[in-house]
Amino acid sequence: MAVTHGVGDEAGSESLNELVEVAHRIRDAIESVIEGKSDVVRLTLTVLLAEGHLLIEDVPGVGKTMLAKALAKSIDCPMRRVQFTPDLLPSDITGVSAYNQQTREFEFKPGPVFANIVVGDEINRASPKTQSALLECMEEKQVTVDGITHHLDGPFMVIATQNPIEMEGTYPLPEAQRDRFTAKIAMGYPEPLAELEMLDVHGASPPLDKLEPVATTAEVKSLIQAVRAVYVSVPVKKYAIDLVHATRQSPDLRLGASPRATLQLVRAARAHAALSGRDYVIPDDIQDLAVPVLAHRLLPSMEAQGQRRLPEQSLAELVRRVPVPDTK
Amino acid sequence: MRLPIASGAATGAVALTLYPLFSEGSWFWAMLGVLICTTLAAALVSRFAQPPFAAPIAMALAAILFMTVSFARDEAWWGFIPNFDSTAKIAELMAEGWDEIQRFAAPVPSTTGITLLAAGGIAFIAILVDAFAVRVRRAALAGLPLLGLFTVPAAVLNEPIAWPAFIIGALGFVGLLVSDGRERVSHWGRAVLVRRTRTTTTAPDAGKLVLSGKRIGVTAVALAIGIPALIPTLTPNPPFGFGVGNGFGPGGRNVGIPDAIAKLSGQLSHPVNAPVLTYTSSDDVPRYLRIYSLDEFDGQQFKSSSLRGRPEDRVSESVMPPPPGLSDTTPTVPTDQTITVSEDIEELRFLPLPYPAAQVIADGDWRADRNTLMVFSTEDDAAGLEYKVIGKDVRPEPDLLNNAPDAPIEVQGRFLTLPADIDPAVIELAEEVAQGATTPYERAVKLQQFFTVSGGFTYDLQTKGSGLNALSDFLLVGRSGYCEQFASAFAVMARILNIPSRVSIGYTGGTKSEGRWIVRTHDAHAWPELYFEGAGWLTFEPTPSGGFGQATARVPSYTLPQSDSADPAPGASAAPSSGPAASPGANSPAGGIANAERELGPTGLPVAEETPIWVNIGIGVAIALLLSLIPAFMRMVLWLWRRRVLNRAAAVPDDEVPVVAPKKKDEDDGWGGGEVIGGEPAGEPASVWSVEEPVVVAAKQENTFAAPAVEAAWAELCDTLIDLGMPKAGSETPRALGRRLAEAYPLDTEAAKALTKIATSEEKLRYARTPGETTPLVDDLKAIRRSLAASVSRGRRIAAVLAPMSALLRVRGLGERLLDGFDRLETIRFRPSRKATETATTEDVLESQVGSRR
Repeated sequence: MAVTHGVGDEAGSESLNELVEVAHRIRDAIESVIEGKSDVVRLTLTVLLAEGHLLIEDVPGVGKTMLAKALAKSIDCPMRRVQFTPDLLPSDITGVSAYNQQTREFEFKPGPVFANIVVGDEINRASPKTQSALLECMEEKQVTVDGITHHLDGPFMVIATQNPIEMEGTYPLPEAQRDRFTAKIAMGYPEPLAELEMLDVHGASPPLDKLEPVATTAEVKSLIQAVRAVYVSVPVKKYAIDLVHATRQSPDLRLGASPRATLQLVRAARAHAALSGRDYVIPDDIQDLAVPVLAHRLLPSMEAQGQRRLPEQSLAELVRRVPVPDTK
Repeated sequence: MRLPIASGAATGAVALTLYPLFSEGSWFWAMLGVLICTTLAAALVSRFAQPPFAAPIAMALAAILFMTVSFARDEAWWGFIPNFDSTAKIAELMAEGWDEIQRFAAPVPSTTGITLLAAGGIAFIAILVDAFAVRVRRAALAGLPLLGLFTVPAAVLNEPIAWPAFIIGALGFVGLLVSDGRERVSHWGRAVLVRRTRTTTTAPDAGKLVLSGKRIGVTAVALAIGIPALIPTLTPNPPFGFGVGNGFGPGGRNVGIPDAIAKLSGQLSHPVNAPVLTYTSSDDVPRYLRIYSLDEFDGQQFKSSSLRGRPEDRVSESVMPPPPGLSDTTPTVPTDQTITVSEDIEELRFLPLPYPAAQVIADGDWRADRNTLMVFSTEDDAAGLEYKVIGKDVRPEPDLLNNAPDAPIEVQGRFLTLPADIDPAVIELAEEVAQGATTPYERAVKLQQFFTVSGGFTYDLQTKGSGLNALSDFLLVGRSGYCEQFASAFAVMARILNIPSRVSIGYTGGTKSEGRWIVRTHDAHAWPELYFEGAGWLTFEPTPSGGFGQATARVPSYTLPQSDSADPAPGASAAPSSGPAASPGANSPAGGIANAERELGPTGLPVAEETPIWVNIGIGVAIALLLSLIPAFMRMVLWLWRRRVLNRAAAVPDDEVPVVAPKKKDEDDGWGGGEVIGGEPAGEPASVWSVEEPVVVAAKQENTFAAPAVEAAWAELCDTLIDLGMPKAGSETPRALGRRLAEAYPLDTEAAKALTKIATSEEKLRYARTPGETTPLVDDLKAIRRSLAASVSRGRRIAAVLAPMSALLRVRGLGERLLDGFDRLETIRFRPSRKATETATTEDVLESQVGSRR
């Protein structure tokens, strides 16, 4: 075991405390807008701190966009929203080079991806060409237009939403593209009590108007740095690999999780641990995140489909079966 | 393809149990050769899908071919094609072998004829087994010919088969059944696999079935060996003596002579000079009491050829057979002895008798061997037996002995045989000793003089060994030994001098006490007997007697030189060195050799009193109970060891109080996660957002005992849970386990705290950058155990102590690993199988991963 006492630890624990405090503020802020969805909010923060992207899949009107907006507004960073439609072009996302008659030069007009938080609404309605333009930005954190590469400033997080009904005329994201999202969540309908409260509180005015920023971009950046320092022991890494490997071997699954999934699972587990105030990852973090991080990358086998077993269920079963490492 | 080979292997495995029938190993190679040939033929018939009836024919041809090549190569065309001559040669050899089998008793030498017969018989069994198992597909029936083969040694032999041989034979049959099962399963068809696999499997995976089959087989064999050993009343052998015959002691119905010579020295040097038997004699003269007569000298030592106890020779039904060679004209004096064998003698199945005995009156089925007049029983034991012997005291005149004609041919053939490689120096010595003697009797007397007087021999119990070199050493170099060496050397030299001789083992006449003659352990003795036509077998005594020799040895008068003893008075004796019968109190030097205690054989050694049967049963039950308590004992040892580890860690003083970072207090917001223990009773609500444990920032000397203590506490906790029937699931993390226990069982405050402590420290030890600062204590574990035990039934609590599941699982794991080792042996292949390597990458890996938590 690495024994590093002293300064590093001290700094680590201080930044951890700070992280917990900031995350707490952000959570409060978002929760003042979205009632009774604490696990969704927590996962959103986890993805943000893990430098990933989030795919929210749910029926209209449950607050997908609201969540994204609330997040953006509470950390006081530029947020852009793109409504995906079949006629949306890649340049509508990345930006275009326009001819400036005064300077007689082509000038780059940045598109909506040049923001810290980008909300892609109903991403499955856009053509594959446009979808892939966004996905490229997500992966590489840069945009290349007319041979010139423009870097995107961090933190950069895409929150894409998908509508699982009204599937006609849509282009569902292929597996390879779903793989780019760190996690997928479903918002779900609010509890009756939460819905009642929502009516009382937000009935009069749009809740977002009252939302004040509680953190700065710089703060979020430092939080991300703190998350990167979270310790992942070898057994935990092995456990993550075992779990991912099990998805590749399971007879219920036609397609298992990719190595990228392993990477993102561990990264998300770091953020999850940090949000719990821990400077090390435990298998519980991996177990908690296995379904949101892995499930959307898996394809069920014919047998599983025949038995109407969702990848989420198969995955939960695997989590129950794969043993946790019990030695250091 | 696999089945013919399996049946060949099964035949071979069972044929191995024939080993005790042969005295040499060459039959083994013949068996191996014939089996390889027949199995090859059977495999080829299967390979080329020939009709079933072709197999026996092909196998018989293969066997004949093998036998021709091996035994009649010179007669056959081109050395291997059978023709009339070679067939005639084989028939002749077989007849010869048959003859020899009639003549010899087991173990027989591996003569050509006998080896040929053995090979032919094994080939016949192999053909039968193949026919049943492969052609008719009734593998179980193939057990019948195998059983036939298996019973051959049991029926012929004096000694039962050793248990390792039994195991090999049984496993051979199990292997045949397994192969048959596998073949059968492979005919069920092909598994339909919906899932994409990289290769299509050619046969359904019968591995699991085979595995359980093998396990059942191995268990059955183990039970067959183990249960008779554990049931003391079913076997004459002691517990743990291995049931199917231990390969050492006598058992079964036939009587074999145990290694009499080895026993002899053991008795002589036994520290306790216990009484073996007592007797009264009508003329109050002590006589040697013979038990065994050894007639064959194999170059190593004297052995007994086999005995024949025919029902009509029962001593209860008739008088004894006439003593060989004793003519009616030779003067004899009838004697009358009543012998009582001590109760403490174990497994004595031969009666100690004076030679020659005319009549023996004893209870039980005692039979006499016509040649040697040994009296033995296959059923009864001499312990405690009182019997009466009417004997003849032969008193031959020297004239009679001097003028004795040559011994009959059959006596010469049997009792003059010497190995060819006997040391020429010994022959020379014998001739030198006998120089000047004209008759065999004179030569014998001179020979005895040589041993007792002129040779300078000394008596020493430490001398070891027998055999040709030992013989030369004894005669030419050391000239020091005890009765065995003296008797053997005398007998060998007598044979060299053309006097038929044999060695007797038994007891000297003992010492007299309170009107009875008492024969003790240290009176065990070996002496030579020489044959003189007309007088029969006469005892000679080359061993020194008295205080510096065998204390109670006596020198018969007729063995003394004529000049010394002009009037050989019957019974009187004048030993050269000391009196005929030593004083009763004289201890032989053997008595002092306490450290030379050897293996005590079945003959005549006093042992502890015979235990009644209920005591035996009681001992058996007690042993079974003790065995069943082994897991509990293991568990206790483990706990004690862990307690030590924990206490050692707790004993390390805290030299520095750790600085604790400020801990955030926060209300429980229900955001998933939670503290290790849900419903923590001690205040401090759980919160994911709060720092769960005080973060220790001080640089503190690390407690090197802490990590083992944490591990020990965690392992103990897991074992406790298993024992109490609430085991940790493989996928359960320390945190999740703590949560589950707290939710499922009513833990008191102390136990809940202890649980949190153990789980947290284990979690930190495993996953954190630095292990935690708190070390669990023994009291923590006790508190948890107490609290959890209160929530289970009383029966479960008792079981947790007496038969702890965690220890049982460990034992089972050990057994499984052992079986897996056997399985691995089976999967060894000469070529790496594509199928094996590729399927290993699919389900097996996952199965092994998730299997390891079961």
